[in-house]
Amino acid sequence: MTARQWVAAVPATLVLLLALTGPWLVGGSTSTPVGGPFQPPESGIPLGTDVLGRDVLARVLAGGRTLVLQAAAATVLGSVIGMCVGVWAGMTHHARTSGAVLRVVDGIAAVPALLLLLLLAAGLPGNDTVVAVAIAAVSVPFSVRVIRERTHTLATTDYARDAEARGEPWTARVRFDILPGLIPAALAEAGIRFVAATQLAATAGFLGLGAGAPAANWGRMVRENSTGLQTNALPVLVPAVLLVALAIGVTALLDRAAETRVGGLGPIGRLA
Amino acid sequence: MRTVSWIAVRVATCAATLTVLSFVVFWATEVLPGDAVGVVSGPDATDAEREAVRVALGLDRPPLERYGVWVAGLVRGDLGVSLVSGREVAVIVVARLGASLAVLVPAAVGIVILAGVLGTIAGMRAGGRLDRILSGVTLGLIGTPDFLIATVLLVVFAVWLPILPAVAIVPAGQSLWQHPELIALPALALALGGFGSTMRLLRASVAQTVATPFAEFARLNGIRGPAYVRTIVANAAPPAVHAFTVMIAGLLGGGIVVETLFNVPGLGYELTRAVENRDVPLVQGLALVLGAVVLTILLAGDIITRVLQQRTRRQEHS
Amino acid sequence: MVSSRKRGLAAIVAAAAMLTVAGCTAAPQGESSPEGGGTLRAAFAGGSTETLNYFQGPTALDYVRARLVHAPLCELDPGASDGVAYGVVESIDVSDDLSEYTLHVRDGVSFTDGAALTSADVLYSLRAPVLLEGLPFTMLVARNFDLDAATTPDASTVVLPTAAPIADGRELICQSMLAIQDGTTEFAPDTPSSGPFTIAAFEQGQSTLLERNPDYYGQAPSLEAIELVSIPDGTARVNALRQGQVDYISGITPAQAQTLDGADGLAVSTSEPPYVSYMPFTMNTATAPFDDPRVREAFKLAIDRQRIIDNVYYGLASLGNDLPALGFASYDASIPQREHDPDEARRLLEEAGAAGMSVELTAGPELPGMVETATLIVEDLQAVGVNATLRELPAGQLFADYPAWLALPFKVGYNPPALFEPNHTPGTFPEVDALVQTARSAATPEERLTASHEAQRLLWEEGYELAPVFVPNISAARDGVTGVRELQFPDLSQVVLTD
Repeated sequence: MTARQWVAAVPATLVLLLALTGPWLVGGSTSTPVGGPFQPPESGIPLGTDVLGRDVLARVLAGGRTLVLQAAAATVLGSVIGMCVGVWAGMTHHARTSGAVLRVVDGIAAVPALLLLLLLAAGLPGNDTVVAVAIAAVSVPFSVRVIRERTHTLATTDYARDAEARGEPWTARVRFDILPGLIPAALAEAGIRFVAATQLAATAGFLGLGAGAPAANWGRMVRENSTGLQTNALPVLVPAVLLVALAIGVTALLDRAAETRVGGLGPIGRLA
Repeated sequence: MRTVSWIAVRVATCAATLTVLSFVVFWATEVLPGDAVGVVSGPDATDAEREAVRVALGLDRPPLERYGVWVAGLVRGDLGVSLVSGREVAVIVVARLGASLAVLVPAAVGIVILAGVLGTIAGMRAGGRLDRILSGVTLGLIGTPDFLIATVLLVVFAVWLPILPAVAIVPAGQSLWQHPELIALPALALALGGFGSTMRLLRASVAQTVATPFAEFARLNGIRGPAYVRTIVANAAPPAVHAFTVMIAGLLGGGIVVETLFNVPGLGYELTRAVENRDVPLVQGLALVLGAVVLTILLAGDIITRVLQQRTRRQEHS
Repeated sequence: MVSSRKRGLAAIVAAAAMLTVAGCTAAPQGESSPEGGGTLRAAFAGGSTETLNYFQGPTALDYVRARLVHAPLCELDPGASDGVAYGVVESIDVSDDLSEYTLHVRDGVSFTDGAALTSADVLYSLRAPVLLEGLPFTMLVARNFDLDAATTPDASTVVLPTAAPIADGRELICQSMLAIQDGTTEFAPDTPSSGPFTIAAFEQGQSTLLERNPDYYGQAPSLEAIELVSIPDGTARVNALRQGQVDYISGITPAQAQTLDGADGLAVSTSEPPYVSYMPFTMNTATAPFDDPRVREAFKLAIDRQRIIDNVYYGLASLGNDLPALGFASYDASIPQREHDPDEARRLLEEAGAAGMSVELTAGPELPGMVETATLIVEDLQAVGVNATLRELPAGQLFADYPAWLALPFKVGYNPPALFEPNHTPGTFPEVDALVQTARSAATPEERLTASHEAQRLLWEEGYELAPVFVPNISAARDGVTGVRELQFPDLSQVVLTD
């Protein structure tokens, strides 16, 4: 990686590190009030107190891990399924089967994401895993469509058609003709999915789905404390800034990664 | 002709999907803990009163029978009545859909124009100053969750610079369409949230297409100016069109945060309340309409992509 | 629509003509107190479930609107000698054996279609919750009176036999009964009504435009019109008030009230006892170790009530003493306030063999501060060695599954402001049940009060409800809005607007 890539990696890495190790760094309790509500920072409470007079620093430290893990799990799950189904559907000549699979995927896309989240959250209240699975389920149709589209474009190039005509095995074609051109799109897609997943996880927290009170969650903190913006803005600002930094950091990182690959991109586009 | 039959098959599949969807949604709402009887009765009702409410709502009948009745009604175009308010579900759904679209359509148009123009320009001159600036801006927008964008807009336009109304208050007897000033902020919030990803995908796609031998071939053949841009965009558009349609479909039911914070009485908000109230017919009606609209939008995206591809293929062969 | 506009115009002209005549306080019946005028824009949670049929209206907005459109039979008034303030019912007599109530209908009250309001209308109003399949909370009268046997001997008298002798029938009749016309089955904007305002326009989940009823029998409103706006989200309501889109908002959270309090040109107000909601944390005596009164006592002692009032309610809530109906006449204020005593709580738990017990508290966002209060209660319990956890349900779920809710070992609930005796749930403490029976049906007021106080003391000592605070309804208005009566639901009929 170049120096610029390292710089781009800094914010995302810092936030991820903070989110993942945060819960171990918490000194006191995240749920016991240490003072009145929305107290400004003073010694002992460097970020002041939140809506119930709890230590904001402790809650910020504790509130990121679940979110990041939910988003990461959902992204990996969604991307893997999306890649497999998308590549297969984009390459196969079984038009009827692939059409059927795509219709099923469309059917899933037709289930409103919110409804899925709401139903799962109502059926299994306070469950963080459910939120992750719901987010993954919501993201699969998006991934499949983008990957299939890209794969289809790549598979219909003369280059790929030649390889197919030569009778090269499926795996080799995927590896040499499809993946090189697909990876930038897939990475960009996974990046977008991760950012979207973070935001959905945060939104789930914002809407009070997932683990309930008194669990700390950056999204939930924004909602809980937004009434105290004028008294102590930190319990809103700090988690908000962390969320934004994480999302921007990850997107920028994936951008850089994708750009380096663009140089080695195989022939794409349809030649006349 | 092939396209027409292809569309017919797709429409038929959509209908089948919706049928399955309606059953899944019914079943899923049915197995949730609690029902509308508990919600409607409140904590102070006696058992006999609860039973009376159950009978009045028709919830004493077995689920399959109720589903059958609902489907039979659906065939006649009757979506049933809300368990909690006793109003026609169709009336509620139409009103909510209208409010959602009133905000979504301007937002979508804004996204198409902005993302289309800026994405093409940035992609044609990848690495240029405008590209770098846009890249930074869209990065920031993508990284900011809806609720933060909405909150920032509210703080800016409701507290610091009160030039636009913060909350959509529509006088009785009028609809949101008649009040552009009320639509402005929520539409802006949706557009800002959705603009980034579409623009970046189009930009990336355009940049890739520009770098292909195909594009070079076109340039060498003397295709210049608008014709060249058209060729590039037609080749680069399919993935971006997909991303756009999928995103718009998501915004329709997923704009709940924006709808809540700006008081737009849309589908997302209504759906949240309906699930809270275990109002099965209303959840059904809303899910069905949401699903139908989402499938329509996706279908439209597919058709556009197909037409674009066929056009370029024809160009290629001519 | 057009005709009501005209009527509104006529009202303005009439009001202007009378400008010099009327005084500002308590104008005599049938006359206007016209200074002020104007339109009040008031925002409530509302939502698309809004309905003009207030028997089926689940939201506060439905009752607020109904109360402006339909005149009350009578209203609770803990300060008055009968405990009620009379409306279209002029007085209520109780037979000596407490088995028959006689309602005297006020003369000269008429509906907007010109028909006079008679005893038939009053009786129909009392029966309507049953006839029109009203929600359970409207059934208070139906539960306690034999409505089928009720009669109307003449146009101004209703005779109402009780199901069993009761002394608190007046309060039950006056809890939330409004006068509607005999035979009303549908509620539309032009349904004849008798209240201070009429409906000019109504759109569910959006807004209602009310205009002054020139023929209202009581004190004429100062307002020309009221626009009731539905804004479900609390933050959005606050923003609407801040930006001047509305003049008054109701049902905001204590934290929102706190930030509005300092804002220029805005003022916060809260309802006072008895118009505060009871929020009991119920310990299920059917599950161990809550069958041991020492454990229940320990839980009650473990709670730092003042911290809940300070941190959750910013001082806006009333201190609870584990008994319902604060502020009503029969509430026993002589029972000592339970203090925060974690040491005694720990000792009692030890003694009961329940030290280190595990318990899960179930709560949901059904009332402002409910989840937050539950959070602090869990904290307080952990501080005395109880392994307490909180389970937060999504909005609406707490009561949606009522049988499941009943079976929970430790959960929170709430009750709107209501008398203790008629709302007591029998079955757990036979002695208390008997005392409540006496408190409702004994011959003399003294006997009844003594029995009620005795029942309350027993519940205070052994009861299964932990009620640290009573929750008020919090409202906010721009300066220049006066005269809102914060009752069980806000009454806007006497609001005066100045700029």
